[in-house]
Amino acid sequence: MKTVIKTSNLEKVYNGSVAPVRAVNNVNLEFQEGEFTAIVGPSGSGKTTFLNLIGGLDKPTGGQVIIDGTDIASLKESQLFDFRLKHIGFVFQSYNLIPVLTAKENVSFIMLLQKQSKDAMEKRAKEMLEQVGLSDKLNSRPNQLSGGQQQRVAVARALASKPKFVLADEPTANLDTESAFNLLDIMSRLNKEENITLIFSTHDQRVIERASRVITLVDGEVSKDEMFDR
Amino acid sequence: MNLIFTLAWRNLWRNRKRTLITMSSVFFAVILAILFFSMEQGSYDRMIDSLVRYSTGYMQVQDVLYHEEPSIDHAMLYDEEIRDLIARFDEQISFSVPRLQSFALIATESTTRGSMVMGIDPERELLLNDLSEDIVEGRFLSPGDEGLLLAKGLATILGAGVGDTIVLLGQGFQGATAAGKYAVQGIVDLKIPDLDNNTLYMTLEAAQWFFGADNRVTSLILMPENPSHTRRLANELLQELDREWYNILTWEELLVDLLNLMKFDMAGTAVMMIILYIVIAFGLYGTVLMMLIERQKEFALLFSLGMKRKILAGVCFLETLFMSVGGTIMGILGAIPIIAWFYHHPIRLTGQMAEAIAEYGFEPILPFSADLWIFYSQAFYVLVLSVLIGMYPVKKVFQLRIMDAKQ
Repeated sequence: MKTVIKTSNLEKVYNGSVAPVRAVNNVNLEFQEGEFTAIVGPSGSGKTTFLNLIGGLDKPTGGQVIIDGTDIASLKESQLFDFRLKHIGFVFQSYNLIPVLTAKENVSFIMLLQKQSKDAMEKRAKEMLEQVGLSDKLNSRPNQLSGGQQQRVAVARALASKPKFVLADEPTANLDTESAFNLLDIMSRLNKEENITLIFSTHDQRVIERASRVITLVDGEVSKDEMFDR
Repeated sequence: MNLIFTLAWRNLWRNRKRTLITMSSVFFAVILAILFFSMEQGSYDRMIDSLVRYSTGYMQVQDVLYHEEPSIDHAMLYDEEIRDLIARFDEQISFSVPRLQSFALIATESTTRGSMVMGIDPERELLLNDLSEDIVEGRFLSPGDEGLLLAKGLATILGAGVGDTIVLLGQGFQGATAAGKYAVQGIVDLKIPDLDNNTLYMTLEAAQWFFGADNRVTSLILMPENPSHTRRLANELLQELDREWYNILTWEELLVDLLNLMKFDMAGTAVMMIILYIVIAFGLYGTVLMMLIERQKEFALLFSLGMKRKILAGVCFLETLFMSVGGTIMGILGAIPIIAWFYHHPIRLTGQMAEAIAEYGFEPILPFSADLWIFYSQAFYVLVLSVLIGMYPVKKVFQLRIMDAKQ
C-alpha cells in the first residue's frame, strides 16, 4: 500500500504560562492509502493538535510531516493554502458549513476554489449529496438542516474534490446516536468506494469500533497503535 | 469574482436589521449633506449671479493697472482695435458693456458729498441688468442725454429731485479738472444701501466729456455666450491683447473677497458635515467590527478549506462597500426629488429676514442648487470613508492566525 502521510519526530511545544507544554511529542507514524484511522486519547492528549499539524493548519516546532514527498512544515503560508485545497479534506466538530451557502454550494465550494468547471461541480455536488442521502436538501441553507445533516454535507464536501485524505476532528461529538451511526455508515462506505484515507480524532466508542486502525495518544505521545481487520 | 460578490452580498443579509440600520444611517447622512450643500450653494449661486449681472459681469477688460489702482488715470482706450477684437470673438461673446467709473464731489445748494460717477451706455447696460425698471422717479437715460440719474439714497441725502440742477467737481483724466452742471432726470432705487447712497449715472459720452477721457472706459464688461467657458475665453482674449496695456479679469478675480467669504462660510458647513460623517463612520465601523468578531470560526473554516486570504479580504471589503454605497445610492435617490422640488419651488422667506434680504437687492428666497457636483462629492466622501473603514477587516483578515480563530 502507498504511504500517504509520514510524520518523523513530530513535535509541538506551546509556551505555557508556567512551563512549556508538549502537546505532541516525538510522534513517528505512517498512514497508508485507504486506511480508516481513529486517533484516540483523553482530553488534552494532543489529538486535535496532531490533526492540525498533519492538516497544515499549525506549524510543528520540530520534526516533519511528509505528504506525497513534501515536508509541509517547510511550505510558505500561500503554498500551504494551495496544498490544503488540493490534497486535504476537513470535517470539524462544529462550524463546518458556510452559513450563507446552500448544501449544494457548500459541497461545491472547494471545487469552486479549485476552479473546476461549473458542470463538473454541479454533477459532483449532486452525486455526493445523493451518496450522503441529502439529494432532497440541495438548496437548503445550513440553518435549515439538522446537526446530523450538516455533518453529512461536510463529509460530502470533504470528499467531493477527491482529496488524498480527510481529517475529521470529533465529527460525531455533537450528534445523537442515530445520526452518528448514519454518518459513520456513510464515511465507511465512501472510504471503501472512493479509497480515500480517513483519519479521525475521537473519543467516541462508536467511531473507534468502525476504525481499521486505532492510535492512542497520551500526553502527546503514541502509546498504542493497533490494527483491526474490519 | 462571482464567489466574492455572492459571499459578500449574502453575508450582508445574515443580520438584516443591523445591515438596514447601518445603511439607513448612511442614507440619512447623505440626504442631509446634499440638502445642506444644495441650499448653501443655491444661495451663493444666486448672490454671485446678481452681482455678476448688476456689477462686474463675467469678465472685464481693463487697463493693466486699473485693478491694483482703480483711478480715472488708468482708464483704457476703447478704440477700434478693442472693438475689432470683440467683433472677432463675436460667436463666443454675447454682448459687451462699457463703463467709465470714478469719483467726484456732488453739490447742491446746501449739501456736498462724495459720490461714485458711473458712465454707462444706456442701451447696452440694459442688456446686463434691469436698471431701467428700478427708476422710481423721472426717466431712464437715453443715448445723447446730458442729464443724470441719482440713486435714491443719494438723492435723499442731497435733498435733490428730478429737475434739480447739481454741480459735479472732481479730478479728470491725467490731472485735468472735471467740473460740470447737470440736471437730475431720474431717481433710481439701487436696493443695496452702499450703492444707493453713493452712486449717480450719466451716459458714457457725458462721463467721458466730464472726466476729459475721450474714448476711454475704466472697464469693458464682456458676457460670454456660455458662462462656463469664461476662463477659457478670457485666456484666448488675453493672447490677442497687448498685455502691456490691457488685462482681463474674470468675475472670480473681481469678486475675490466675496468668494473668500463664501469659502469661509462653506468651511463651517463642511465642518458640520465632517462631524456628521464621523458619527456615521463609527456606526459603520461598529457593524464591520461585529461582523468580524462573530465570524472568527467561519474564517478559520474558510482558511482550512483553502480559501486564500486575499479572497476573504475581498469579501469583507465588499461587504463594507455594499453597505456604504447602498446607503449612498439610496440617499442620492432620496435627495433628487426633494432637491428638484425646491429647485423649482424655492423656500420663500417671510418677516424680518425677508425684509433684510430684500434690502440688499436680493429676492427673499432660499434657492437650492441642483449642481451635480453636490451629488458626486457626497458619493465620493462616503466612498473614501468606506474604503478607509473597509481596510480594517482587510488588515484583520491578513493578520488572522487560523489556530487563534479556531479557538
